[in-house]
Amino acid sequence: MVAGKIVLCRCEDVTLADLEHSVSRGYRDIEEVKRYTGFGTGPCQGKECMAAVATQLATLTQQPAEAIPPFTSRPPLAPTPLRLLARDPAGHRFPDDLDDATESEAKK
Amino acid sequence: MWYVARRLPGHDAVRGDAIEVRIADTSVRAFPDESIAAAAIASGTRVLARSLKYHRPRTFFCFEGHCSGCLVRLSGVPNLRACQAACTAGAEVVGQNAFPSAEVDLLGAVDFLFSRGMDHHTLMTGSSVLNKLANKVVRQLSGLGKLPARAATELPDVAQRTVDVCVIGGGPAGLAAAATTARAGRSTILIDDQLRPGGSLRTDPRTGRSAAEASWAQATAAGVEVLARSTAIGYFPEDDGGVLAVAAPERLYRIHAASWIWATGGYPVNLPFPDNDRPGVLAARAVGRLLVDHGILGGDKICIVEVPEMAPDATALASALYDAGAEVVRIALGNATGTRGRSWVSALDTATGKVECDLVAVAAIPAPASEGARQQGCRVVLDPAAGGFRVVVDEHGRATTPGVWACGDVTGYLGPAAAADDGARVGKNVVSST
Repeated sequence: MVAGKIVLCRCEDVTLADLEHSVSRGYRDIEEVKRYTGFGTGPCQGKECMAAVATQLATLTQQPAEAIPPFTSRPPLAPTPLRLLARDPAGHRFPDDLDDATESEAKK
Repeated sequence: MWYVARRLPGHDAVRGDAIEVRIADTSVRAFPDESIAAAAIASGTRVLARSLKYHRPRTFFCFEGHCSGCLVRLSGVPNLRACQAACTAGAEVVGQNAFPSAEVDLLGAVDFLFSRGMDHHTLMTGSSVLNKLANKVVRQLSGLGKLPARAATELPDVAQRTVDVCVIGGGPAGLAAAATTARAGRSTILIDDQLRPGGSLRTDPRTGRSAAEASWAQATAAGVEVLARSTAIGYFPEDDGGVLAVAAPERLYRIHAASWIWATGGYPVNLPFPDNDRPGVLAARAVGRLLVDHGILGGDKICIVEVPEMAPDATALASALYDAGAEVVRIALGNATGTRGRSWVSALDTATGKVECDLVAVAAIPAPASEGARQQGCRVVLDPAAGGFRVVVDEHGRATTPGVWACGDVTGYLGPAAAADDGARVGKNVVSST
């Protein structure tokens, strides 16, 4: 490990220097910073890093903390095995013939 | 094997009978009541994986399922959190994302080659040939884990619940709120994502394991349906009038409720100092959890890096670690200038010199776990003194969305005792207003 990196997001290896670089390139909004640096896009989805990045961002961009919104929260909120979702009735909203189509595809 | 953490005598009675699990091809002693991560750290495991970009060593940090440090392949299934997987006899644990192994990873060279950081937007974009080649290589290297050994054969059914009150989070605030609404005759369900409910009660020497077990038992005795090892994974307002999806180990629950109480607490987070991601740097709450819930002393010489807001918590932890036999040094965040060590921390650099240690405990304000409440449209505000994006509540505990309440650390850090009081208070308010 090379000395000196201050890591804000351990999932995606985003450092304080990366955040400063992002702000210097003009990406100052939290959603822009997320897209530019990749922070908050790993397995923890910002649980460990978002508060830290947002707080540093307020300082770097000289904004009051209240002016920094969180990035959009989307499901799933935690790593979820796909098999648990396989029989969710919400899936039945898809056209009924979807299953048939897949089956006839498989027969070919 | 080289040990840092050790099991304290006198805890075996509550642990049950020892079993064996295999971690990185070594057989280790474990207990059915504890997590794979606890068994691993107690048996000398240091590095579990490598990070995505620089291949820096990664391992345990939070011990409560909210970071990505301890993702492992467990009995053929990739990307499971070692701290949220219970030890079962014969379980096989291997690290991920490293070649040839997590301890000795040749791709760690990336960290040296890009010692000042890497802007992947401009990396290898000068020549189109080089760019194509670089893309090929990067696509081979990126991604987490390998596909499961087998496809899922059983597809579990989906369960429905319609209740008066749904409490999300089984820490001090959630257990107290749920017990209060259930005692008043409201049908109440409580969702907790940990191996055993209790939340921060299990991490703080001022409360501890017995307080957690007692609060859990009280909620159950009051008639609360407790879904343990279950995670609220999303709120879907457009689905069936509003559904909270909950992933339990063996099924998905769809929950409808008249009132929602968010008691999700806060996430243990790191603090910004150089090389704060070195293995052996753990959340102070994780060090507390190992000690008071598992009877494992994380190290013999422990540095606590802290912010002033957490001084009371750091004092309680330091004194409990000292009583258990560790040497403890407390360092203010501003004085921490780096960490040293190879695959585990061996010293903390400070403004006044090097402090040798075998564990660093980071006492940061926990970040409010507000993303679920945000999916219900509740307003949150960034409040660094509260640890992050806290849910905005009125004096009764009402969030800005009708029918939604919040209590405990998710509204700003309170600590276990005050969070329990807050939960009971908000539970009462929910009862009197519905």
